Amino acid sequence: MAKDRLTEVLIRYEAVIGLEIHTEITAVNTKMFCGCPVAFGGEPNTRVCPVCLGMPGALPVPNEAAIEWTVIAGLATECDIALWSQFHRKQYFYPDMPKDYQISQYDLPFCSGGFVDIEVDGDGVAERADLGGALPFVGPEAVPEDGGYRARIGITRIHLEEDTGKMVHVGGSEGRIAGATHSLVDFNRAGTPLMELVSEPDIRTPEEARRFAQKLRSIWLALGVSDCSMEEGSMRVDANVSVRLRGATELGTKSEVKNMNSFKSLHDAIAYEIVRQADLLDAGGRVEQETRHWDAGAKRTSGLRSKEEAHDYRYFPEPDMVPFSFELAWIDALAEKLPELPDARRDRYIAEFGLPKHDAAALAAEHALACYFEEAVALTGADRARPVANWMLGDLAAHLNAAGIEIVASRVTAAMLAELVGLIEDGTISGKQAKEVFAEAASTGDAPGAIVEARGMKQVSDTSAIEAVVRSVIDAHPDEAASYRGGKVGLAGFFVGQVMREMRGQGNPAVVNEVVRRLLE
Amino acid sequence: MSVIDLSALSARQVRDSIALGEFTAREAAEAAYARIEALDGDVHAFLQLTPELAFAAADRVDMARAAGNELPPLAGVPAGIKDNMNLIGTRTTCGSRMLENYESVYDCTAVRRLLDVGALPIGKCNMDEFAFGSSTENSAYGPTHNPWDLERVPGGSSGGSAACVAAGMTSISLGSDTGGSIRQPGALTGTVALKPTYGRVSRYGVVAFGSSLDQIGPFGTSVDDVALALEAISGADTMDATSSSEPVGSYTDGLDQGARGLRVGIVRDMLELEGCGAEIRASVDLAAETFAALGAEVGEVDLPAARHGLAAYYIIGPAEASSNLARFDGIRYGHRAADPADVLDLYMRSRAEGFGPETIRRIMLGTYALSAGYYDAYYGQAQKARTRIIEDFRAAFERFDVLLTPTTPEVAFRFGEKSDPYTMYLNDVYTIPVNLAGNCAVSVPSGLCSTSGMPIGLQIIGDYFAEAILLRAAAAFEEATGFDPIPPLVGSLNS
Repeated sequence: MAKDRLTEVLIRYEAVIGLEIHTEITAVNTKMFCGCPVAFGGEPNTRVCPVCLGMPGALPVPNEAAIEWTVIAGLATECDIALWSQFHRKQYFYPDMPKDYQISQYDLPFCSGGFVDIEVDGDGVAERADLGGALPFVGPEAVPEDGGYRARIGITRIHLEEDTGKMVHVGGSEGRIAGATHSLVDFNRAGTPLMELVSEPDIRTPEEARRFAQKLRSIWLALGVSDCSMEEGSMRVDANVSVRLRGATELGTKSEVKNMNSFKSLHDAIAYEIVRQADLLDAGGRVEQETRHWDAGAKRTSGLRSKEEAHDYRYFPEPDMVPFSFELAWIDALAEKLPELPDARRDRYIAEFGLPKHDAAALAAEHALACYFEEAVALTGADRARPVANWMLGDLAAHLNAAGIEIVASRVTAAMLAELVGLIEDGTISGKQAKEVFAEAASTGDAPGAIVEARGMKQVSDTSAIEAVVRSVIDAHPDEAASYRGGKVGLAGFFVGQVMREMRGQGNPAVVNEVVRRLLE
Repeated sequence: MSVIDLSALSARQVRDSIALGEFTAREAAEAAYARIEALDGDVHAFLQLTPELAFAAADRVDMARAAGNELPPLAGVPAGIKDNMNLIGTRTTCGSRMLENYESVYDCTAVRRLLDVGALPIGKCNMDEFAFGSSTENSAYGPTHNPWDLERVPGGSSGGSAACVAAGMTSISLGSDTGGSIRQPGALTGTVALKPTYGRVSRYGVVAFGSSLDQIGPFGTSVDDVALALEAISGADTMDATSSSEPVGSYTDGLDQGARGLRVGIVRDMLELEGCGAEIRASVDLAAETFAALGAEVGEVDLPAARHGLAAYYIIGPAEASSNLARFDGIRYGHRAADPADVLDLYMRSRAEGFGPETIRRIMLGTYALSAGYYDAYYGQAQKARTRIIEDFRAAFERFDVLLTPTTPEVAFRFGEKSDPYTMYLNDVYTIPVNLAGNCAVSVPSGLCSTSGMPIGLQIIGDYFAEAILLRAAAAFEEATGFDPIPPLVGSLNS
């Protein structure tokens, strides 16, 4: 869908968006209510026991660590932590749910009433048609230095529940239920602790939705609560989307969009849905309240085939567990142990290392990047933080992207990058040489110093040695030397090139430049 | 026919006889199976016999004795296990077609603990389907008959567990009690039957009916045997988050301390409930006199909210049951309908075919009570009534150590006599408030009905985790009455 189509729609319509974000707590060793390990994949139905299979007579025993992680997540997003809480049973029949009820939370979630601040910059700003050129400071708060804006997104609640199993439909196309002859169920995932965060409907654009989800992921990663893999489904984002004419006070009918397995999909699915709903309304139609499925290939949402029924989940307090009562002191102790969160980290990078805001934000948002960065800077010293950041966001990022690997899998470790930056800053090698050294280190895993040694790459900065080479080059090219002295100063580059060739690229470019000009004149 | 007459021996005597070498554990098991062979065709206490497990357990006891080891407290004691408790090597059918071929994949904690102290698992006992009932008439596999009169019900839902002890087929048995399912059949069969305090015994492995109400407990022919079994099965369990870490004391040590000084309260307003037979009512007053004669301080107390117990129970129990029984869906185990058109058809037909009428009734009641728009009026109100009942008991236990009521408003009835469900439900009017409050209570035989000759049970109710005092009172009463009820059927067999 064309971007200008969305922009055009958003001039006339206001979109109201709320997200429901499910995150598996992968930080724990065992499932929510039994001792089975928490992991991804594996042979079907190998990480199961009577409890997570819902065998007759089996009982749930709550995983304290998972509750603690949920409270930590709530504290990191400014939520109020309940002093009194309990689980409820949410009842509906589905084959991936062993007990045909899900142990979840209802009116007493562990966390409620929090918020997260997001910043939107770049292209995404244009989606806020209402803001126009003049960014107001009330509501979305402008961040004038880069033309972006900041907005606060409320968090209604974060509660804890158990994940379901996974269904595999066999015999139909692409594993979909339509046309399938039978279905298989894998309960390995069943019972994995799952945090569900519900946002307030404070989100107004697809870009804000993306930023909000990214921000949460960044916070969860900083806390270490989850690996937040959208591909593996450990972080799943559903969007409630409605539109209304600008100025209208009543909310439009919403649809719930599911099956977005990347942040781009989240953005595109919401954008599609906004335009779809606006087109319906423009044509005099009405929006149905329904669940819609995002098809990333076809780039569209479609209504689920099954007739939408108003579910009555018949929630009631889970009688297999007693309610939880939390001490304020326990909550305070968890709050004190909270790690530095991405926003604070970004601000520190700016203040402490003088990084540009964009670079600081990029490094701080991704916990693994931040750890790498800080490990390298600890070795190079704070004064070399900027080149470390430049290398990370430049060559290293490009390399990881091309190789399709995460930074934790990089052969160039933080210590190696620190060493490389040291070699450049000390003048041992040139920037150009450094790129070669980086490429070799990335493929072999050898230390940069060893590579420089082995290749005899050390940069020559010794003025007298360079003067000798420059003199011989000038002697060998008397005509060019005469032309230079006659006013063709552009020939300096020719001499620098000849000298560098003679020196097999090891001359310090700055020194060579200086000597060439001095001796020619 | 074996020389050992289990009905003439207590569990403690069986264990001590084996320890003394008077007979072997294997012979005890043989005696149990011989008695079953002779009587269970008529009584139908068992759904499944497990001789392989029982003889293996017996051989372990006999080997332990041969090796000179001290025998554990229930070594060689034949035991029946209600068929809603999991035990590897057995089917656990819950008296339902739904689980006709269901083989346990793990052990119920209470059963495991009973076997760990040497008890012999003789078989799995008949029950009302999923423990819904007061007569065992709701078993999908046919009812159990009362050993006192084969034309009459043994009570329920743990009717098989009660009958096998009453008939001397086993020395002890385990039942489960959600609204009286141990105590009511105990009263109707003349056995001692205990519902422990909620949380005293792990529920792990007993197929859940009402999770906030269920408790496993023992049957025996004496208070001492029941106390022995309770010691074995009690205590915290990491697999049950509602099990209590309250220390398990000795329940047998203080049994001989008598009733002197005990504060005993007759629950007067419950005695006056409509439907309570005159002879039953008189038996409680007689019991109070017995306690007074033993030196107890006897007084009276009312539990005004208890009259709402039945109504509250038939909301809360079915609500929890409707949820607990959702898992029987034909997907992973249990009955699955043939050739389902789709998953909804699979669910609906599997459940319609697998469940009996009372089970379906309870599921429907509970589903309705939890539905949007009805929750506050039903479940919410029922929980309020429950809180009132808890408060009534709490106040009563500030004045008394134990409370007395009848266990049931009448003695064992004939098959088919209570054809409408509500009349049947009324049989648990005295037992239900105790489950709602979570207290412990025991039914002790207090006499025989002068017209029918059927046993009458006295319910003694104790405070939370006050099983020691409760059983001490029961033992004092048992000794004072000198009543050792043996059904005529068993008497004739022995003569």
